[in-house]
Amino acid sequence: MLPQTFEYLKPASLGETLDALDQLKDKRVHVLAGGTDLIPFLRAGLKEADYLVDIGGSGLNGVTLEKNQAKIGAMVTFTTLGRHAEIARWLPAVSEAARQVGAVQCRNRATIGGNLCSAVPSLDGAPSLLTLGAKFRLQAKGKERLVPAEQFFLGPRQTVLQPGEILTEIIVRLQDNFGTSFLRFGRRKALTLSIVNVAAGVSVREGKEITAARITLGAVAPTPIRAYKAERTLEGREVTPELLAHAAEVAAGETSPISDLRASADYRRRISAVLVRRALENSVGRIAARVSP
Amino acid sequence: MKKTITINVNGKRHALAVDAKDLLVDVIRENLGLTGTKKGCEDGECGACTVLIDGEAVNSCLVLAISVEGEDILTVEGLSDGLTLHPLQQAFIDDAAVQCGFCAPGMLLSAKALLDNKPNPSEPEIREAIAGNLCRCGGYVKIVKAVQQAAEMLQHAAVPQPAGRDS
Repeated sequence: MLPQTFEYLKPASLGETLDALDQLKDKRVHVLAGGTDLIPFLRAGLKEADYLVDIGGSGLNGVTLEKNQAKIGAMVTFTTLGRHAEIARWLPAVSEAARQVGAVQCRNRATIGGNLCSAVPSLDGAPSLLTLGAKFRLQAKGKERLVPAEQFFLGPRQTVLQPGEILTEIIVRLQDNFGTSFLRFGRRKALTLSIVNVAAGVSVREGKEITAARITLGAVAPTPIRAYKAERTLEGREVTPELLAHAAEVAAGETSPISDLRASADYRRRISAVLVRRALENSVGRIAARVSP
Repeated sequence: MKKTITINVNGKRHALAVDAKDLLVDVIRENLGLTGTKKGCEDGECGACTVLIDGEAVNSCLVLAISVEGEDILTVEGLSDGLTLHPLQQAFIDDAAVQCGFCAPGMLLSAKALLDNKPNPSEPEIREAIAGNLCRCGGYVKIVKAVQQAAEMLQHAAVPQPAGRDS
């Protein structure tokens, strides 16, 4: 059993969940999604709870593809996301991230929303969403706001979420002619935090000129970061292997990694350049004339 | 405060009084006495406590028992009917895929979830399926081989489709 006593609530709808969270605003409340992050924290005493509010009954576990956008419920597990054929087709970087989180047992419970709200600097769920310009729907009782993925994270384990407020949905625009790729590097393939993770996205006109470039890196700064300078070195230029390699070096220069037990700051910078280059190459290779669903 | 929940474990219904802080692994081991499910890291890292919830492998050390009301749970004790070993168990014995045996229950269940979804997995698929299960004896090669053998046994044992079913 966990070494602390708390009450468990599982409201049967989103409305009831928001009501419960509103009423318990002054208490030590934690939202339970998949539990793969929260339960170890409760066990270790790193978080203390009077109440756990399980949002598994709030109807947030759907993936819907509309004409121009995908809507991903916060409670969608990485397994569901990774198996979704349309997500794999339209948002390969999202699919690749989902399939590489943790291991099977973890992906079967862990949710995209829980991953984002954990806000650990190395989280694998975020880079693809920043690269794709996703928006997060945040809801509290009687309130709702859309926050760009890029503005959601404030620091390690800190987000813009207010007491009583939860992430309910992720909205991603589907763009023709925008190839994306997610890569991560860790000490092993499964169950290890990323030393670096990268999501790239590129649009190319007539197979040559880069019209848009997006690069996001994780685990190399307090939050996932966009590599704006690197993006600018790409935009308007013709795709060449040299240009992609140069942009990757620029991106590595935009990181501010720490040294810890997983890797030194210097190693993280070097790996960043390699991963960014590969992710850009993958992205360019994936651009094909596609028609929105 | 305890709450009574109903869960189906290995096909048997159980009504259990649980606390919010009770983990599924403890309820399985302590309340039901099914100690085949092991506790290793208790942190979701080792896979020793793997059980299947509605056919999907999960770490039971990271699941609150109170949150799985009504679900179907399979533990290693439910693999065999009590008379004949499950092909996975037989293959683990035949291929000597068990050294100390501590990881075996979790390995078996991760492999079961894989084969139920994918009867003929490739070696990389098997390795990915058991990537969340640590074997500290380092016996992965034989474990992978045993899963391959079990897949063959299961396909061999499968009842052939009646002719003309596809047309």
